[in-house]
Amino acid sequence: MDGLNEILSLVFNATLVRSTIRAATPILYATLACVLTQQANILNIGIEGIMIFAAFAAVTTSYFAGSWVLGLLAAIVTGVVVAAFMAFAHLKAKADIFVVGMGVNMLAIAMTRFLLQRTFGVSGSFHHNDIVPMPRLNFDFGGNRLLDTLFNDYSLFEPVGIVLVFVLAFILYKTVWGLRLRSVGLNPPAAETAGINVALRKFEVMLYSGILGGIAGAHLSLGYSRMFVENMTNGRGFMGVAAMFFGGANPFWGWIGCLIFGFADSLGSRLQSLGLPSQFILMIPYVVTVVVLTLAMMRKKRAETARKSAV
Amino acid sequence: MSRILIEMKGICKEFPGVKAVQDGLFTLEEGEIHSLIGENGAGKSTLMKILYGMYVPEEGSIAVKGQTYSSLTPKQAIGLGIGMVHQEFMLVREMTVLENIILGFEPRKGGRIDRKAALEKIEYYADAYGLRVHPDKKVEEISVGEAQRVEIIKTLYRGAEILVLDEPTAVLTPQEAEQLFCILRSMKEGGKSIVFISHKLQEVLAISDRITVMRGGKHIATVAGSSTSAPELARLMVGREVFLGGSPVPAAKGDVALSVESVFVPGEKELSKLRGVSFSVRKGEILGIAGVNGNGQSELAEAIAGLRPVQRGRVVLGGVEVQNLPPRRIREHGLSHIPEDRNQRGLDRLSDVKENLAACSFTEAPLSHFGVMRWGKVREFADGLIRSYDIRPAGVDIPASGLSGGNAQKVVVAREVSRGADVLLASQPTRGVDIGSIETIRNELNRAKEAGAAVVLISSDLEEILSLSDRIAVMFEGRITGVVDASEADEEKLGLLMTGGGTHV
Amino acid sequence: MYKTSWGSTLMTIVLSLSLGAGVILLLGYDPVEAYYQLFRGAFVGKFNIGGVMERFVPLMLTALAFAVSAKVSVFNVGVEGELYLGAIAAAWAGYAFTGLHPLVHIPLCFAVAMVASGAWGAIPGALKAYWKVNEVCVTILMNYVAIYFTSYLVGNPFSARASIPRTPTIEESARLLRILRPSRANIGLFVALGVLVLVWWMLYHTSWGYRLRHVGQNPSFSEYVGIPPKKAMIWGMILSGAIGGLAGAIEVMGIHGHFLDNFSPGIAFDGMLASLIAKNDIRMVPVLSLFLAVLKTGALGMERFTGVPKTLIDTIIAVFILLAAMEGLFAYSRRRAARSAGEEAA
Repeated sequence: MDGLNEILSLVFNATLVRSTIRAATPILYATLACVLTQQANILNIGIEGIMIFAAFAAVTTSYFAGSWVLGLLAAIVTGVVVAAFMAFAHLKAKADIFVVGMGVNMLAIAMTRFLLQRTFGVSGSFHHNDIVPMPRLNFDFGGNRLLDTLFNDYSLFEPVGIVLVFVLAFILYKTVWGLRLRSVGLNPPAAETAGINVALRKFEVMLYSGILGGIAGAHLSLGYSRMFVENMTNGRGFMGVAAMFFGGANPFWGWIGCLIFGFADSLGSRLQSLGLPSQFILMIPYVVTVVVLTLAMMRKKRAETARKSAV
Repeated sequence: MSRILIEMKGICKEFPGVKAVQDGLFTLEEGEIHSLIGENGAGKSTLMKILYGMYVPEEGSIAVKGQTYSSLTPKQAIGLGIGMVHQEFMLVREMTVLENIILGFEPRKGGRIDRKAALEKIEYYADAYGLRVHPDKKVEEISVGEAQRVEIIKTLYRGAEILVLDEPTAVLTPQEAEQLFCILRSMKEGGKSIVFISHKLQEVLAISDRITVMRGGKHIATVAGSSTSAPELARLMVGREVFLGGSPVPAAKGDVALSVESVFVPGEKELSKLRGVSFSVRKGEILGIAGVNGNGQSELAEAIAGLRPVQRGRVVLGGVEVQNLPPRRIREHGLSHIPEDRNQRGLDRLSDVKENLAACSFTEAPLSHFGVMRWGKVREFADGLIRSYDIRPAGVDIPASGLSGGNAQKVVVAREVSRGADVLLASQPTRGVDIGSIETIRNELNRAKEAGAAVVLISSDLEEILSLSDRIAVMFEGRITGVVDASEADEEKLGLLMTGGGTHV
Repeated sequence: MYKTSWGSTLMTIVLSLSLGAGVILLLGYDPVEAYYQLFRGAFVGKFNIGGVMERFVPLMLTALAFAVSAKVSVFNVGVEGELYLGAIAAAWAGYAFTGLHPLVHIPLCFAVAMVASGAWGAIPGALKAYWKVNEVCVTILMNYVAIYFTSYLVGNPFSARASIPRTPTIEESARLLRILRPSRANIGLFVALGVLVLVWWMLYHTSWGYRLRHVGQNPSFSEYVGIPPKKAMIWGMILSGAIGGLAGAIEVMGIHGHFLDNFSPGIAFDGMLASLIAKNDIRMVPVLSLFLAVLKTGALGMERFTGVPKTLIDTIIAVFILLAAMEGLFAYSRRRAARSAGEEAA
């Protein structure tokens, strides 16, 4: 009993909240990028690749230019360029978005590995003191340990991410642009007859997704860590897609999904450090998402059957 | 005298293989409710879609408020004050009523949607014409009647002075239809002009100032609503033409092969749901089921074939209850089915002709043996059918996508009729088919009847019904409104039953 | 009709290789020498040819798994998960049963693998058939579940308690015979080819295959003629999963001799992409899988002898996939060429 209590107190404490948010943030930007495109009914499965490209661009620029701001900008530009390519391939050249996305992921891993070799002469990872990381936010809480643990020492884009969730929700549900975007995804013929250019809107939203993907990558290599590692996203882009599905393409619920992933990740590492198996914890967000999706579709079917009923 | 808002003259519109509109004529006066009536394929929807800019006519002119055009675009039409409420609503189900109404024409406060301004404008129209809606409910939560009101407010919101409603009561209950008429009357008083497309004579007589009848793509007559009657309109709609096929061939009638007993079947539209439909068919007879499309005929065919659930009631085939059995079992009990949708249901366009012809018999010898396909035998089988039914081009390996409408239908007919089933269900069998193939297919139906099958022929082509059927049942709004013997059937009687007159069975 | 679309695939291959040659030149190497060494690295010598075979087998089987699911119009992105499940099931059957003759043990391991992964594949199939749940997202999610689950198994109940996370070594009787030594190619190659032919025969020469194909092409038609679409969809997914599991089993039984945590660097994703480029045509699946296997194997030799980094080939492969996906591009330019040719003639 004592041993269990000890484990529980080691695992569950205020730092868990911190590490959850910390782990969730890279996924969050990916999720928000996917939420945007999903509202236009485009599955941006290439977000993983965009993040890797952006992460590399951020580190390289930060290293050579000595500025994280330039690194961030380079990441955003990279994200937009890759997204523009994907949009062109899918919308103009009629490529299947899934193949394009997976192709971009493959290309990102291969190309960044190659460029890592060529530019820095290393393989595996690159870290150096000259890489300027993103600033951290520090507040003085007068020594209060709880507040200190919860609110001090955040990387810049962690709180920005949370703010962004609400900003995006506002844009999607309260502005004209958001309304038109949603109509494009939900009922393109209705949007067309209302005078909305569906193809143009889809292209536009991919570019914005690229911006968010760029920020995601920059945060990963300059905020979350301070280096570039081969394949450093490690599936976080896909987690972003999963969280997006969990939240039904809604930014707020997608954020909740990210927190679940972040929580599972943090909890999992703690268990691992204590020598306990973590895999079942790590599985949970995925299983939960499958269940949520299935329940949603079951509900839809039941409503449709009731609607068509003659009795 | 009211001024003429719209004058369409000499309109001709052709689609591949069919002249949808020939020498189309239509005028609309300011402040009138003008109904446009006719059967399926009469051209009324097409004519109005040309007005709304969705189609471009080959010939003819459209004059709107004095200005003449040879064709319009939807944007132009909206700009000229023409609004159309389609049969298929253009609404985003997951968004609210308010969002749907303002989409594309949103009142803004900077980038934000000015909800207050939107609500005000919507309330204005709602009050002016009695269009009650719930602005904050999602479209998927509201009734069909309310959804239609949303579509109407949408057109008003975009500045329409002229409203075209395409079969608006097809989706409404009688009570909702009454509410709609009140709304239309108050809109007329408010100076709007309305075009009302329908095939339901009672409603049209109740609400119209003038009525235009179309048939076969042509303008037949324009009469004042007050000076005409249902029988006269029915006659004009259905027409007195010389029939190609003549009258039904005689055959010996046997026992009842198919009996449909008080079935309740679900449907996407309120009025295509079947509520208590009953009839029976004997061996050696053709029972024609007449009616304008969308009154439940498709649902009936699917329910009998096992492709749609039967919520109440029975379907008895050869003495066995078959309702809700899987389609395969129903076929085994003796049903063959020529489906209404040739392309999605009747054929697999991605396969070749032989696979399509063998689709009902590929599990049996000689086409397969212990699960292994004998392609040689399949080819022989397909070849035989191609020859007997004169399918062109005559090749077993030709992809089904390369067949013309008539030949594609012949493949379906060949497959289904050659099975020699006890009951043959044929749904719109000659729709979109060339004359030569029509004759072949009709002959096949007669041959099946002479061989002792019970044939159910569902068709919106009255001429076809009259030339083949021994008895005729008429469907309207999900019910059978009457059953007549071929000898007593004429256009007037049938027309009335098809459009809402007559007694309900 | 087929000739022109394979023509554009060929054009894409040529284009990708030319782009690669250009980059090699820019890097300061000789493209001719590089491609020559690539060719040698794949085709010259038993070790190299064996290497190609080694990579070809799982690639082709996972591509086939995806193609089969595509035949019932389900996008099975979960082949990677099925690969893992099949691998660990085979690894377990390989060490848990002793004293069996190879002719019994090997099929037993295969069977266990295929049952496990087939059942796994049935889940997204059923979810799609009954409730239209998006199978792309469910299968991606289930991949992670499968990989974590096998990771747990290899860490605990099935652990070999060795320095690396792996299962105990399988019995000799479960091992697949090596061919083309000193490479790791094994008779799994013949099993894979046999499965390919068997699957092709099943799909095109049995009534069961007839059902599956029609359900994938037109479920509405299939329902109407009496083929229950839901059942066919689920069986198609079971077969797809089973083939993926077999790929995993062969990896364990032929190459490693045990299940290694995280042993696959995304083999099934490469296979899936190969199938997509082959337009899910079963006859072209082995061709494209072979092409990819050749490139990957040859790249090692190319790097060793010319210094051109292997990652460049990975990049070229990715470019090839992207270009091949953009078929609209070639169709567009072909139409324009046809139109201008017509104008000139007139």
